[in-house]
Amino acid sequence: MTATREIVTDQREKFAFHDDITYLRETSRGLTRATVEEISGFKDEPEWMLQFRLRAFEHFQKRAMPTWTDGLDRIDFDKIVYYRKPSEREEKSWDDVPEQIKATFERLGIPEAERKFLAGVGAQYDSEVVYHSVREELSKIGVVFMGTDQALKEYPDIFKKHFGTVVPPEDNKFAALNSAVWSGGSFVYVPKGVEVPLPLQAYFRINGENTGQFERTLIVVEEGAKVHYIEGCTAPIYATDSLHAAVVEVVALPGSKVRYTTIQNWSNDVYNLVTKRAHAYENSTVEWIDANTGSRKTVKFPAIYLRGEGATADIISVAVAGKGQHQDTGAKAIHLAPNTRSRIVSKSVSKDGGRATYRGQLKVSPGATNVVASVRCDALMLDDQSRSDTYPYIDIQEDDTTMTHEATVGKISADQVFYLMSRGLTENEAQNLIVQGFLEVFTKELPMEYAIEFNRLVKMEMEGSLG
Amino acid sequence: MTAPAARPRPARRALDELSLPVDASLLEGFAAGEPDWLTADRRAAFDAWSSLPGESNLLYTPYIDLRAAQLDEAHIVVRLAPDGASSEGLPADVAGLIEVTDGRLSTVALSAGARDAGVVVRSLLDDLDAVRDELTDVTAIAASDKFAQLTRAAWSQGVLVDVPAGAVIDRPIVVRWAVGSVGQALFTRTIVRVGDGASATVVEEFVAGPHADPTAAQSLFAGTMEVHLGAGAALQVASLQELPTNVVAFEHRAADIGEGASLQWALAQLGGRLVRSRVDNRLVGDRSSVKQVEIVFGSDEQLFDLSSFTTHIGKDTTGDLLSKAALLEKSRTYLKGLITIERSANGTDSFLGEFGMNLSKAARSVAIPSLEIDQPDCRRAMHSSSVGPIDETQLFYLESRGIPPDEARKFIVLGFLEPVVARVPLASAQDRLRELLEEKWIAGTDGVAGEAAA
Repeated sequence: MTATREIVTDQREKFAFHDDITYLRETSRGLTRATVEEISGFKDEPEWMLQFRLRAFEHFQKRAMPTWTDGLDRIDFDKIVYYRKPSEREEKSWDDVPEQIKATFERLGIPEAERKFLAGVGAQYDSEVVYHSVREELSKIGVVFMGTDQALKEYPDIFKKHFGTVVPPEDNKFAALNSAVWSGGSFVYVPKGVEVPLPLQAYFRINGENTGQFERTLIVVEEGAKVHYIEGCTAPIYATDSLHAAVVEVVALPGSKVRYTTIQNWSNDVYNLVTKRAHAYENSTVEWIDANTGSRKTVKFPAIYLRGEGATADIISVAVAGKGQHQDTGAKAIHLAPNTRSRIVSKSVSKDGGRATYRGQLKVSPGATNVVASVRCDALMLDDQSRSDTYPYIDIQEDDTTMTHEATVGKISADQVFYLMSRGLTENEAQNLIVQGFLEVFTKELPMEYAIEFNRLVKMEMEGSLG
Repeated sequence: MTAPAARPRPARRALDELSLPVDASLLEGFAAGEPDWLTADRRAAFDAWSSLPGESNLLYTPYIDLRAAQLDEAHIVVRLAPDGASSEGLPADVAGLIEVTDGRLSTVALSAGARDAGVVVRSLLDDLDAVRDELTDVTAIAASDKFAQLTRAAWSQGVLVDVPAGAVIDRPIVVRWAVGSVGQALFTRTIVRVGDGASATVVEEFVAGPHADPTAAQSLFAGTMEVHLGAGAALQVASLQELPTNVVAFEHRAADIGEGASLQWALAQLGGRLVRSRVDNRLVGDRSSVKQVEIVFGSDEQLFDLSSFTTHIGKDTTGDLLSKAALLEKSRTYLKGLITIERSANGTDSFLGEFGMNLSKAARSVAIPSLEIDQPDCRRAMHSSSVGPIDETQLFYLESRGIPPDEARKFIVLGFLEPVVARVPLASAQDRLRELLEEKWIAGTDGVAGEAAA
């Protein structure tokens, strides 16, 4: 083994910047019925969407703040700007994107990534998609990949048929909030039998102090079609808390295959409260590959409802909680049909007083016969100031389910560190290597560039802990 | 089966609301003739009962369902006529026997050997002041549990098992609760004190009393077992719950485990309509350990709501917890377990296993094996859980040995529950448990076969 001993530097700088943008349109701070009407008006939406938003707003007001996780009471809904439009219209090509915004994305490496293998880019700058390019070949095979706002106008039928069916506004308080004020996000439509040859990627960013970001993503994959969607997030660091409340809906029709990969690296002032859910129909496969390293607090449990016979769910959830962070993450597999399968793998690392919580649900409903399900949770704690929790909910209502669940929590083995140090690694390098190995179940599922970036992020986190 | 037509449909209730009528005048009934400190203790517990939610731990809020309890007509026992307890009838293989029938002490007997060793087995009411410290110890009963606090407020009978330091009692001490008198709501406390270096075995039995009638209105039995283990003490507790099917039971067990002490629980849950049990193990002393095995064999519409909280506080402590549920017909279990490793608890070894076997399509098993860990310097911290049907390979193997399929199934299910049976430290109680499991298997599977034939 040749150990290349690269000097690890704190690369936080790279992700911590913001530009001063002139906002052309924005709502005033706080949320009222008028705010919701104003947002819908700005967007010139059909009446049904306005009614949907208002119904959601009413539910948001009625719904109590969840108490099963702590710290959410610190969110001050009156301080948030719910809609902010960075440029007047959606841009079709990179050249048309305003220079200032482009400069921000340059630093995130988007154009470079696109040159290499991007199939399309939906770059969310604050609250709306400002830049979108879809390769010609995708258009030719009928794949739609665009901003959600645009899709509402251009594909009203498909949109109306599926929007809000997977995550209704009444699902939870933050789904209601998103449904009331949503803006931006991606819309993906893959026609019957089409396999999208390259991953679709979207970069999301929050800019602007106290800007809420409420993107809404809807992915509809027709029978026998196949797609891989990737989102990665970075955000500028600010002193006060930002709120990100997204909703992602995936409809996987019979025989389709959908993979949704996320690397979440919001800055440590962001509350990231996301509802992600997929409906998996007959013989379809849905995979959530989800990593959370950033944010102050993330509450996110990617869910798959196995609605059709023979459907398969695969969820890999990874969390790294450092100083001041709480990653309240996990997964849900709800078996509603016979012969369905699910696998959940969760890995968490907590350090420097961070807290990592696995919260998951596995449910087998009456009628879902012959289910095979497994849940595996492992947690690594790097010091005794940190905390790790595991809360799995297992609810089996059939007599022929095969379900196994295992969870372990521990620290890095001193023997392993000793062994690696005897091979010439420093203690920090040894620990870093062990943590990367621990998270490999996730990393190996990523496209190479993302895997490299993710390992770099982990390394950076490890540096921070020991520096 | 048809429900009695005359009985009105019970009012719609919240999942965590108990239908038992309770009001503050209850405390006045107890106050007369009791020491002031006890009245104050009941008062504080009553206030806690009034303000606490039905499920104290937010993790488990969706998994409580007390609607099966129909106790609107039940009355809480406050004072009973004086006891005329017999001291006869001590079986040869036990060291002591205390039997309480519908709240009245019916038998108290102790072997000569146990008496000589200084063991005391008596009703708490015989001398309240002698156990004042234990009765008023706020950690002795789960402070956050609404129904544990109601028990603390409304107990009218209690048992003390006191094993002094150094005493080694080989034969078990049997504590028998015979209950189920129609319309009765009985609350009790049991204190088990095992002194430094002492060791003892307690067999706790919950059985149908002489006035029990499974076809009559429901009754309630709520009892505690408060265990105090001194340094190096060892205690084994086996509990066999075979209450009639119209009894609602609340069981609250809590143990403070001292330095180097060890505690073993073997808990069998078979009877009752609705059973809610909670065990709190507090591993306070360094090198203390707890081993807990619990089985459920459910049938009909029984609901078993079983929580177990194990807190590691001292260094190098060990927790080993195993729960198994086999469910026939429409029975349900909620297995809720939480291991907490506090920052002070270096060197912990903790395991929690929750396993279910649904033997009917209408059965439901819920497992929530949770971990909260503040100290990663541990030998082991893990849980594991599985739910599965009867293993076809095992079945095939047994059938290939000439065992008929129904018999083979029975062997597999009873084998699944054997870990608790094997731990019952009294041969007669062990035989009794095996017999009960078999009876229940026959009753439960006949029902299924009958349905299939119809």
